[in-house]
Order: sequence, then structure tokens, then C-alpha cells
Amino acid sequence: MEPWIVSTGLIVAYLLFTIGVGVVSNRKLTVDVEDFFLYGRKAGFVVLYLTVVATYHSAFAFLGSGGFFYTHGIGFWDAGTWTILAGASTWILGTRVWALGKRFGYITPADMLADFYESEAVRVVTALVSVIFTILYIQVQAQGLGYIINVATGDRISFEAGTMILLVVAAAYVMAGGIRAVYWTDVLQGVWMYIALWVGGLVLAHELFGGPVELWRQVAAQRPDLLTLPGPRGFFRPGMWFGMSIVLSFGIVFQPHILIRYYSAVSGRTLKWLGATTPIYLMTIYVPAALVGLGGAIALPGLDVPDRIFPELLFRFSPAWLTGIVLAGATAAAMSTLDSILHANMTVLTRDVYQRYLVRDASQHHYITVGRIIVLALLLIGYVLSVTSGQLLVVLVSLSGAGALQLMPAVLGVCFPTRRPFTRTGVLSGIAAGLVTLYVTLIVLPHPLGLHGGVWSLLANVFVTIIASRLSRPPSADTVSRIHGTIERFVEEGDAAINRTAG
Amino acid sequence: MGRPGAVSHTRSHYLPRTRDGWIALVAFLVLFALAEPPLVYLIANRINPWVLGTPFLYAYLLADYTALIGVLVWAAWRGR
Repeated sequence: MEPWIVSTGLIVAYLLFTIGVGVVSNRKLTVDVEDFFLYGRKAGFVVLYLTVVATYHSAFAFLGSGGFFYTHGIGFWDAGTWTILAGASTWILGTRVWALGKRFGYITPADMLADFYESEAVRVVTALVSVIFTILYIQVQAQGLGYIINVATGDRISFEAGTMILLVVAAAYVMAGGIRAVYWTDVLQGVWMYIALWVGGLVLAHELFGGPVELWRQVAAQRPDLLTLPGPRGFFRPGMWFGMSIVLSFGIVFQPHILIRYYSAVSGRTLKWLGATTPIYLMTIYVPAALVGLGGAIALPGLDVPDRIFPELLFRFSPAWLTGIVLAGATAAAMSTLDSILHANMTVLTRDVYQRYLVRDASQHHYITVGRIIVLALLLIGYVLSVTSGQLLVVLVSLSGAGALQLMPAVLGVCFPTRRPFTRTGVLSGIAAGLVTLYVTLIVLPHPLGLHGGVWSLLANVFVTIIASRLSRPPSADTVSRIHGTIERFVEEGDAAINRTAG
Repeated sequence: MGRPGAVSHTRSHYLPRTRDGWIALVAFLVLFALAEPPLVYLIANRINPWVLGTPFLYAYLLADYTALIGVLVWAAWRGR
């Protein structure tokens, strides 16, 4: 049987399964906003683990990481630092976000920030930053999906049609089952993508070199420049290494789809163990990616699009069944991120915009229906962006990765009590300064002094937040006492302090 | 914050409150520094010596990342 039939068949089987999950989760759904948006705050360790890792790793991790190793060499192994920082952040920060969410019924990140800073402006700015900078990820995943299905079918389904088919499937199960469908499909996607990458990487290493050890030896003999820093094109200089560690850890943790996952946990203890153990998955997925990228640089040099190295190697050097499994895994990687962002943006727009400013006291059923309509709108926006934008995409992706980082000082100000709390003027000024700096240091004058633009923007944000907070009126003593008091009790007594007072 | 019911923030939320917490924090920061500039460039930016069939930089970082995860798991275990 021809490889494209096998790979297409496996992807179709996978898509049918996800639709089935959406239907089943729809039957489990109660007409309850917390159930639709937050899994009823009952997500246990296994489900939460797999949805977090599957969401964190997108099409970029699956296909782009191989391309990065292929082009820039071993410097991409820096990925270990940001995956571990993301885990540590889940423990240190995520548990506090969970505690406040459970205690005060927050559903979106903006709920928490608007409550503490006593400001609707903070709510609107948080919602806008959350949506604008993550909507670009819808575009990125949609393009990845279109590319995967185009490759898998041997150009028999166009990029545009492939993008639309997979966007519709993801939107369908998000609309049907809400976050329950997202979490359940993420469980499958998280397992599939991990196995696919490992099996694919190891099989290729054996097929091409006789095993990983010989692969490393061949790379050292033929391309030693790939095995040291800063790599053949000088990309991984110290400032870029450090900057990527910061931007790709905190920059993802502060995105709404991750913060909402913290709210949905069944307990703080679950999140603590999640933080300690998710780096095992997140970091080790780059081990086979290194084999693919570096081995590919020896076996198949000179590719015009380095991101294609994994599927190109598979189609040339591996059996059809393996190609199908791996490309279905790549589909899973993209869809697990896409569905989470669709869901998070639906939640933010429904809760922070529609429910807050347009229709305040409607039924829960009404808000769920509105959420579904918003998913449809996001689907159309994602599709149009993915088939119309060209070179600009590179700039947009860089911008989106660092955009959510601008919420960091504001969130830390809520979750980490200090003697002089940040103020609404402080965090709004900080976000504005950070966004302006981000524009300058990513687009106008990229990465000044070799330091990633995201780090410059964060530094500017923190500096302005602190100064402006000193010069403006803090939140009321009652609010500070209520929220920081909850954090203090949670730190001292653990989950029991929250469970005693929640609801 | 001196009102009844208000919380006194005399204890920092940015520093550990237990001995195990301090051990975990210091170990994490030291290990993390080993994976960041300038140390990773000064200590580990080379191919030789090979470790278990892999170049030194790769093996060095893998060992460091494993140790970092070990610190997180240890701290979670101690704080259970």
C-alpha cells in the first residue's frame, strides 16, 4: 500500500476518534459555565498532566524543533531550560492561581487581576493582551495542520483545504464538549505525539546510521559546527540562549490557556506534582527531536524548508505505517494546542467581554451558546489569517511568544504578597511600556546587544510597574487583605485553607 | 495592614520558609546557573570528552536537566 494512503488513513482515523470524544463529552456536559469552561474544577493528575504537556508542545515542537536542530545545531537543546522553568512555575505560581480561583470563583486570568487591582481597565487590557497574542497561535497551528495534511496526502489535498478540514474538526469538538472535550482529546494527543516522536526518531537513527551512537559520531565527524555553541549560523549566543529560556517558559505559562488550566485542577497538591513532573515529558521529547534534526543534517543536507526534515526523512527512509503514525502524531501536537487556545479565547471573550459588558444576567445555557458562536468566529479568523499571511508570520510569531510575558508583573503582584503592592496604574503603565519595548526590540531594532527582545520588554515592564506603583494609589486595604490573606493562609496551611472557605 | 483581620506580610513570599525549601531553592539555582550563560559556554561548550556515546555538551546538559527535575521531585516529595 502506498505511504500516502496509510498516512492519510491514520490521520482520518485519528480525526474520527477526536470527533467521537467530542460527542461523548457533550453527553456528559451539564449546563454549567464552570463545567464548560473549567471542567468543574475537578481535573485530576493524569488528565491535567497530559493536557498541559500536549498544550505546551505544539506543531512547532513536533516539526519545528527538528528544523531548529537541523539549522542551528545543538543549541536548541536549550529547550530543556525553558521546559523545566515552566514546570517550576506551575508549582510556585500555578498553585497560588488555583487557590485564588477556587476561593473567589475566578474563571479567567482577567477575573483575578481585575478583582485585586479593582479596575475594569485592567480586566479589558488583560483580556485583549490574552486574546490578541494567542490568536496568532491559532494561525500558526492552522498553518501547521494544513502543511501536515498536504504532505501526508502527497499534495492530493491542498494546504488551504487541509487547514479548513482540521480547523473545523477542532472547533467542532470544542463546541460540542467544551473543556471536557479538549482535555479528553489532549490525553490521547499527549500520549500519541510522545510515542510518535520517540519511535520515529529512533527508527530513523537506526535506519540511517545503525543507531544513535553512530549518528552522533557521524555528526561530529562531518558537521562538528552543529555540536557546539553558538552553532553554524551564530544564532545561539549567550543573550539569545538566556532570552529563549525566559520567553519560552514564562511567555507560555502566562498565556490564558495555561492559567485557565491552573483554575481547573482538583487541588493545589495536584498542581504541585504536575509542576515537579511535567518537565520529564516536556524535556525528553526533544531527545528524539535532536536525533531527527542533527541526523537529518547529515543524511539530507540542503533542505529549503528545514521544518520539513522529519516528514521528508520519514517518506524516504521509513515504512509507511511509521510515517502515518508520526504524521498523525504531528496532527495531534498541533490540534492539542489549537483546541486549547480556541477554548481559552472563547472563555475570555465570553466571560470578560460579552458577559461583563453586553449581556450581564443571562442563563448559563445562553453563555455556553455564545461561547460556541465565538469559537466559530475564531475558526474563521484563524483560517483567513493562515491562508493570507506570508512573511509577516515570522514577525507575528515572535511577537506573540513574548506578548503574554507582559502579564507577568501584574500576576506576580496578585500571587506574591509584598509590603507595597502593585497598583492598577502601575500594572497598566508597565504593560504599555512592555508592549512598546517589545515592538521596538523585536521589530524596529531586533534583539539589542544580542539579548532577546522579550527580555528587554519584560525588564521595561517591571521597571515601569514598580516606579508607577510607588507613585499611585494602591488597591484598598480590604481587597489586599482578602486576596493576599488567602495566599498567606494557603502557603501556611495548604489546600485545607482553601477547601474550608471555597464557594 | 494593621487593621483587625488584615494579614501581616512580615514573611517574604519570595523566600522559602523551611530548611527543605532553602535546600531546594539553592540547589535549583546552582543547577540552573550551570545551564545558562556564562557557565554553559565556559564549562561545557565542547564535543570531547564523549559521555556514553554522546558529545560532552549534550551529555552535560542532559545530566543537569535531570538533576533539576530531581530537585523538583525531591522538594515535592519532602513537602507532601
